[in-house]
Amino acid sequence: MGENNIQINKTKKAIKSTIFYMFIVFVAFAFIIPLIYLTTTSFSSLIEVSDYPRQMFPSFSHNVEFSYDETYERYVLARENNKGEYVILNFGDEKNLSKYLEKNFNVFLEEDELLEIMLPAKETGEPIKVKLYKNIIANYIKFFETFDGVGEAFVNSVRAAIYTIILSLGIGGGLGYALAKTDIKGKQAIGVGALIVRMFPTIAISVSAAVMLIKFGMFDSMYGLAVIYAIPNIGLTAWITKGIFMNVNKELEEASLVFGATKIKTFYKITFPLVLPAFAASSMYAFITAWNDTAVALLLTTNNKTLSLVLYEAIGGVNSIHYAAAGSILLILPAAFFTFYLRKYINQLWG
Amino acid sequence: MDNIKFNNSPKIKAKILKVIKSPYILVVPAFLFYLIFWAYPVLTAIYEVFTKVSTEGGGFTLNNIVALVNEVHFSEALVNSLVFAIVSIILQFILALLLALLINRKFKGSNLFLFFMMLPMAIPIASVGIIWNTGLTEFGWINSLLEVTGLQNILELVGLADGPIIWTTVSGMKAVMFLILVDTWTVLPSVMIIILAGLQNLNKEYQEVAMVFGATKRQTITDIVIPIIKPTIITALLLRIISGIQIWLLSVMIFGFNKVPFLVERIVYYTKFYYSDESADKLAFTYSVLVIIIVMTMAVLFLQANKKSERSMNNG
Repeated sequence: MGENNIQINKTKKAIKSTIFYMFIVFVAFAFIIPLIYLTTTSFSSLIEVSDYPRQMFPSFSHNVEFSYDETYERYVLARENNKGEYVILNFGDEKNLSKYLEKNFNVFLEEDELLEIMLPAKETGEPIKVKLYKNIIANYIKFFETFDGVGEAFVNSVRAAIYTIILSLGIGGGLGYALAKTDIKGKQAIGVGALIVRMFPTIAISVSAAVMLIKFGMFDSMYGLAVIYAIPNIGLTAWITKGIFMNVNKELEEASLVFGATKIKTFYKITFPLVLPAFAASSMYAFITAWNDTAVALLLTTNNKTLSLVLYEAIGGVNSIHYAAAGSILLILPAAFFTFYLRKYINQLWG
Repeated sequence: MDNIKFNNSPKIKAKILKVIKSPYILVVPAFLFYLIFWAYPVLTAIYEVFTKVSTEGGGFTLNNIVALVNEVHFSEALVNSLVFAIVSIILQFILALLLALLINRKFKGSNLFLFFMMLPMAIPIASVGIIWNTGLTEFGWINSLLEVTGLQNILELVGLADGPIIWTTVSGMKAVMFLILVDTWTVLPSVMIIILAGLQNLNKEYQEVAMVFGATKRQTITDIVIPIIKPTIITALLLRIISGIQIWLLSVMIFGFNKVPFLVERIVYYTKFYYSDESADKLAFTYSVLVIIIVMTMAVLFLQANKKSERSMNNG
């Protein structure tokens, strides 16, 4: 009896944990499917983007068939689609086809290389099947070539982020220290103020900020953007650093002072290392604010675009969505890196 | 030289030191920054709302507010924004709490799972827009997925679809609901992780004590777990609802301007599409101030509700 019960319990447990894992896998999959498709699109050629149904995982090559058309004296190109059928796509000489392959297949072949592949079809009269390998990062290169000023936009995004970090840490860090370690008056008012600006909808002052920035000569510049991005982040930095400064062990600092260290030395050797994580977290928040924003940049710049603004404008493009997908991946990478790094601090931040 | 000078006039030195050493010196930069770059534009926006356009002499007027209410998409934009903010926060909170309670334990591969879950929250909205824009076309990846998994057949069988669905033509409330789903995909992980962080800080003993005293699992969750992690949740929800009110980019990147109007979408529309048209600027300003009022009201209400419930909890 007892043994039977144990057996049943074991089976129950196994079933439970199997269901649990199935659920976990399902949830994880549901969350990453859109990203898988984006990644695949960023490696796809134009012809693959127009396939239906789309392939879920990226391919590295195309299966094609070349044949020779005697009557018109030209080569015929057919591609194996995702149903396994060869579909005729184009015809012409090696010059036309080389260009066509580059644009639609992401296959880069010189005319003579291509001719070498196709020539047997003409000589034997038999169609030949070959596997043409794609240039896998073609879309990433094309992204820079197709859209105007992507390189500058990339630099602009980095600059706006750095200025935002400097402003947030410089002003917010000082405020946080003052709130935690000194006996200034009106701490409560400052605290409420920091909360208000933290939640303030910056997009809603962007229209009047544009007028103001024009007056200051900061419109259409990264300084102007950084100033607006800093509005919530100074408050946030003050809030984060205040908490950490308050937790810095007073006794440790006092001990250091007792042992003859100067105040400045105590700050550098004791306080600073302890508060470093808070500053790291604050600067990552500042970075993410600046890097991820499109709305404010749209209203406050005209020629000096940021990377995310370029992507926003890329969306209407005909036959360039796979380049835009590559650009999206480039935009995601730094943001993802910082977000994951930030995860370590989330406990401290929200707890 | 400077040192000698200071030594000769200790009074000045003391004064300068006093100013430099005053803790207020740390507050001044922040104060000045917010005065110039925050208070000034806020006041300008409010001023613009209550004044006439320059061709009419610029005096006080309430006409801008009338113009706002009469704007073609005003009521739709207002309703859409509120529905979006409220429904998405409820949906996200419930889902995030359920998920967090479910996975609040170490299991094999829990770190990997969290990594996958966190991916969407790291994605800038412009990229989110591109992801869904490529998905929603007639032959995009969403329909491909339906086709490959066989769901398309089921949809056609029950009569919900007739051939590939053309998602981008969805309009009205349906489109808003669709955007809520997209938004949930993006931010659910962040809400969940905040709740998870709160749960992991939670002292396990409280729960055990409650169980010992005969509380059911559900009672433990509603009476012990939720009240303790509440401050964390409140902050997270507050920030979510505020960013929910400001949705526009997703709508524009998926559906385009004027299709599924939102308050902030109107601001951008009137600023970007009407160059040096003062009455369009006035509309943009009026929309801006409306957004500020809504966001700030929500923030105050939320915080006050939080305070009140805290007080009643302490008294009870």
